[in-house]
Amino acid sequence: MANLLPILARFSLGALFIYMGLNKALHPVEFLKLLREYDVLHTPFLLNLVASTLPWFEAFCGALLILGAAVRGTSVMLLAMLIPFTVLVLLRALAMHEGSGLPFCAIKFDCGCGAGEVRICHKLAENILLATLSAGLIFSRRPRLCLRHSLFLKDNE
Amino acid sequence: MRKARFALLEAFIVAVVGLVLALGANALSPRGLRLTGNYFPGGAGSSSLAHSSTNSDTALAKPGSKKPLEATTLQRLQQRGLNIIGSNLVEEMFHDPRYEQGLVVFIDARDDSHYQAGHVPGAWQFDHYHAEQYLPTILPICLNAQKAVIYCTGGSCEDSEFAAIMLRDAGVPRDKLFVYTGGITEWINSGRAVEVGSRQSGAIKSKP
Repeated sequence: MANLLPILARFSLGALFIYMGLNKALHPVEFLKLLREYDVLHTPFLLNLVASTLPWFEAFCGALLILGAAVRGTSVMLLAMLIPFTVLVLLRALAMHEGSGLPFCAIKFDCGCGAGEVRICHKLAENILLATLSAGLIFSRRPRLCLRHSLFLKDNE
Repeated sequence: MRKARFALLEAFIVAVVGLVLALGANALSPRGLRLTGNYFPGGAGSSSLAHSSTNSDTALAKPGSKKPLEATTLQRLQQRGLNIIGSNLVEEMFHDPRYEQGLVVFIDARDDSHYQAGHVPGAWQFDHYHAEQYLPTILPICLNAQKAVIYCTGGSCEDSEFAAIMLRDAGVPRDKLFVYTGGITEWINSGRAVEVGSRQSGAIKSKP
């Protein structure tokens, strides 16, 4: 079972990132509008750059995980995307919660994740799970069904 | 330590290769975004900001603000120097004899799928996110018109405002442009008919 966990983690993370990434890449204008709502990127160039590249980049990372190529590096990148994004979603939800007076878990909005409108508590739980799986893959020592688990190290290292 | 260094180096390589591929995919995609374009003239940062979809009807304008959406929209339009038009005046303009002559025009600022699903009969489409595709047609029409009513979905939708700003920046006099904030949602909810498919398709659909 322990041998299967990294494979399951890779495939589930990979499939999810491909799905979410392509969903956004195929509707870049919608993603651009959602990204703008976070109000963190204030120049058109930065906003356009992130909106046009992030979805494809996510799909690329998902593909690498499924193929089992550069797994550690890809997992580091996933963490580097997931952590700040989760913080942004949390801050936005807190602001909405404060403004509306509604229970925190009743807050629901399209966070630009590629899955439409979501309840904030579900999203946070999902992101924590994804981050945990990504972190697990960084430390995983059982490269199975991998094209090239590490670009620099041998499989038994 | 060595492994951590290699993992970081690998992450850097993934980032660089991924970024290059992502830029290439965006450039090749027919739906790709122009990096240098300004899709939100009047400010890249959000001004309407997040609207939480809760069970409450009170839409929120800005996180932390209890201002109703409508008030924020009106304030924002004023800040952007745009003329606002309400439901009654829109009705008048639609029935104005000059509408048939192209001296009063309606501009739908939504994307193609929404436009095809139903627009104000006779309205022209101007999806400003693909301005290069629409502007050569729309600009002379607006310049020739005495009044242009621009709308999108209504509610929190800002596309009509951006389209109006883009037309204004392209040379259409400000006093000709009117933003219909109620949008197609209000139009339909008022029991007015919509045209389905392309402009002048003749497929008119009334609210059941």
